[in-house]
Amino acid sequence: MSLFWIVIRHLAEFEAMATSKKVITREEWEKKLNDVKIRKSDMNKLVMNFLVTEGYVDAAEKFRIESGTEPDIDLATITDRMAVKKAVQSGNVEDAIEKVNDLNPEILDTNPQLFFHLQQQRLIELIRNGKVEEALEFAQEELAPRGEENQSFLEELERTVALLAFEDVTNCPVGELLDISQRLKTASEVNAAILSSQSHEKDPKLPSLLKMLMWAQNQLDEKAAYPRINNISTAILEDPSV
Amino acid sequence: MPTASAAPAHRPMDLLDRLASPDPDIKLKALREVKNQIIGNRTKKLAFLKLGAIPTVASILAEADSQLADGDVSIVDKNSDYYNNNIIIQSAAALGSFACGFDAGVRAVLDAGALPYLIRLLSNSDEKVVDASARSLRMIYQSKLTPKYEFLQDKNMEFLLSLLNSESENVTGLGASIITHSCETIVEQKSLCDAGVLNKLLSLLDGSLSQRDASLESMAALFRNNPEVISKFLGPENGRALSSIIGLTKDRYPRTRLLACMCLIVIRNSSSCYLKDIGIKTKLVYLLLELLDDPGQVGDEAPFVFSSLITEKEDVQKLAFEANALDKFLNHLQNSQLHPKRFQGILLALADMCSKLESCRSRFLSMEVLNSVTDALSHDSADVRTAACICIRSVTRSIKNLCAGYFMNEVLVVPLVQLLNDPLASVQVAALGAISNILVDFTRGKSTFVQCGGVKQLIQLSKSMDSAVRLNALWALKNMVFLADDRFKQGIFMEFTASLLTSLICDHDACVQEQAFAFVRNLIDGSINSVEYVFAENGIILDAVRKQLESTSKAEIGIQGMYVLGNVASGNEFHKEAVMQQLLSQVNNETQSFIIKFLQSNDSRLRTAAVWAVVNLTFPSSPGAFCRLVKLRSAGVVPQIRNMVNDPCLDVKLRVRTVLSQAMTFGDGLS
Repeated sequence: MSLFWIVIRHLAEFEAMATSKKVITREEWEKKLNDVKIRKSDMNKLVMNFLVTEGYVDAAEKFRIESGTEPDIDLATITDRMAVKKAVQSGNVEDAIEKVNDLNPEILDTNPQLFFHLQQQRLIELIRNGKVEEALEFAQEELAPRGEENQSFLEELERTVALLAFEDVTNCPVGELLDISQRLKTASEVNAAILSSQSHEKDPKLPSLLKMLMWAQNQLDEKAAYPRINNISTAILEDPSV
Repeated sequence: MPTASAAPAHRPMDLLDRLASPDPDIKLKALREVKNQIIGNRTKKLAFLKLGAIPTVASILAEADSQLADGDVSIVDKNSDYYNNNIIIQSAAALGSFACGFDAGVRAVLDAGALPYLIRLLSNSDEKVVDASARSLRMIYQSKLTPKYEFLQDKNMEFLLSLLNSESENVTGLGASIITHSCETIVEQKSLCDAGVLNKLLSLLDGSLSQRDASLESMAALFRNNPEVISKFLGPENGRALSSIIGLTKDRYPRTRLLACMCLIVIRNSSSCYLKDIGIKTKLVYLLLELLDDPGQVGDEAPFVFSSLITEKEDVQKLAFEANALDKFLNHLQNSQLHPKRFQGILLALADMCSKLESCRSRFLSMEVLNSVTDALSHDSADVRTAACICIRSVTRSIKNLCAGYFMNEVLVVPLVQLLNDPLASVQVAALGAISNILVDFTRGKSTFVQCGGVKQLIQLSKSMDSAVRLNALWALKNMVFLADDRFKQGIFMEFTASLLTSLICDHDACVQEQAFAFVRNLIDGSINSVEYVFAENGIILDAVRKQLESTSKAEIGIQGMYVLGNVASGNEFHKEAVMQQLLSQVNNETQSFIIKFLQSNDSRLRTAAVWAVVNLTFPSSPGAFCRLVKLRSAGVVPQIRNMVNDPCLDVKLRVRTVLSQAMTFGDGLS
């Protein structure tokens, strides 16, 4: 991403002259920032990439109309992908599996880890709903064979089945499996697999760009004092405390 | 607690009944459920397979396909078309899943005759039907069990091109998969190239992720061992192709990087004029070592690609050594949950690293990984066991450590001997390879090996039905008797018996014959006592040696046989006379004596071996030497040797001069 290289170049410039910490005033800094030309269309692509990857299909559609930026993927496929994600998030794992298989049967056939995690999530949902017998049967018939195929699956399965041993699952050592975060984790794993199967990157570019920004600022801190962005959500330049 | 599930999963048996239902709705739902039950689930695939579900699904597909075909002309029933299309999509997906990573499933799908139907469906007008069939076919074409696609037959090439030119990503991917699966011969490579397939594949490199990967893999199939296709493609006007492949080694996706590396290595290994510079070789080494860290399939395959990069290439092995490849592989070996495929690959890569460079072997041994490799000898997977043997064979090439007796210990030898009982011949052969090296142990005697019953095992295996096993068992025995003491040899010979040895000398496999000869050669080398072995049971061994030498056309057998006779001729008068008898028994016949034939051979090693025997027969201090010299002269042997005084091979020349100077000591009456 070109923005990143611009920052790096600036860094290198500073490095060349920095023996003691250089102080850069707001005027100097803003002038430098103004010299950096970033094309509007690149920014738009970045936004579109975020909307598509995260699955905001309505927003993406509106943004397409307003900005004229074409998404690099058929927007209809986002709807399908989001339906899968939503199904997992709301605990309808079986439904999610069927939807993934309709989208592309290869995804779960060639991705044993994801398949295991979905089955594990199914088991978790059964336990959550107090369907003990069904849960045991499911663990035995569907999950145990996977554990035989793979040692780490077996360990995860044992952890999950342990949920059944506790009266008060919220306070047991494996209680976090019942947490909503476990659903989100599984959902994002499915989401990533579907994106990969559509030859699309599984992570949006924007967050990694922001990470690079933070990294670059940290590097720069050692060389210079300058107006810094401390709050990413406002992106306000804050004067150095000199 | 009362449990109530919204839609309980059907048992496989019930689903099978529902598949037979005349109601299209029930049938369709059942198909979809079968599909959803088997995807990702090997156990279920097997369960359905055993119930005979695959032929049922295949016939549903066939029926729906033919109804659809009829429907175009007669029935105008939107509803039935809807069902037929969906039934086709679901059954194609189910068949593809049965064939995915499951050999028994592929076989059943093929046996059910589904392949031609799926291929026909590629021309269907419904995009979803085409996609489902193409996906399913791609699964089927990933299996080695699937019959080869015959590019050169009828309109097959035309059809393949139509696949590659398709708009659908799945269909172009299928085209590339078919090439990867079926392109083997030079003729096939060339005709695909002439049909313009390479340029099409090149354009797919700019396509989607899956198209790029499929294209790289099939390019490798077109390039493999075919310098002509490579130079045609990468020639001066097409430099862009090579640089796009090199560019993909930096791709974001690990699988693409791996396949790009693989493609480059195939080019380098098939055609020596590309990718010669050290920069790209080093880059490939580092790239592949990095890919090893991938937790999935890419990491499992990376060591195999790495092996293909370094095998037989000492310079690249050195680069890899300098890049700390050994440490990297060893780190991975510490992981107790290694996937068998990755385990196998790493062991083979280590074997290649240690195949030539002593520095690698020393480093390997100093890191004490031999234990992990020894553990691998008892791994559940036969591939891992085999790879561990191959790795040990490579490491035990270290003469320094062999001499130090480093390898002759129970920890290593006992599991290796146990592998001689392995149910698979390929494992036995690999174990024999490792044992052969370890048995070249000069110092310690071979006691550890004998104590754990190794000798009996080897002799047993020399009777195996599998000629590769016989060959390698003999090889190990040959190394075992090399420079061994008399008592040890006596023990082995008693166990072996002259008749078994004779039958191996007369084996129908020439390579086994050669090893049998080499074994006898080592057995009787050394003391006069050991020469006696060839005279056991009325000299059947010696007779067999002669018969083979008379009939063989293989230089290697001649060489070993002549050394056997040479070693016998180094014995006492009786031994020497016996050799004379074998050499000259044939002279009265019309045919040429084999020793003359060998002396005139183009192979200098064979000439050397033949002259050696004569040197030993005419050694002046033995009483019958003169008499033998006269006989050899009249049989034409000495005159032939006289013609060889200026032999281009120094070895031969030296022995020839020895014979002639020995003859001189008896005066000049021989010329």
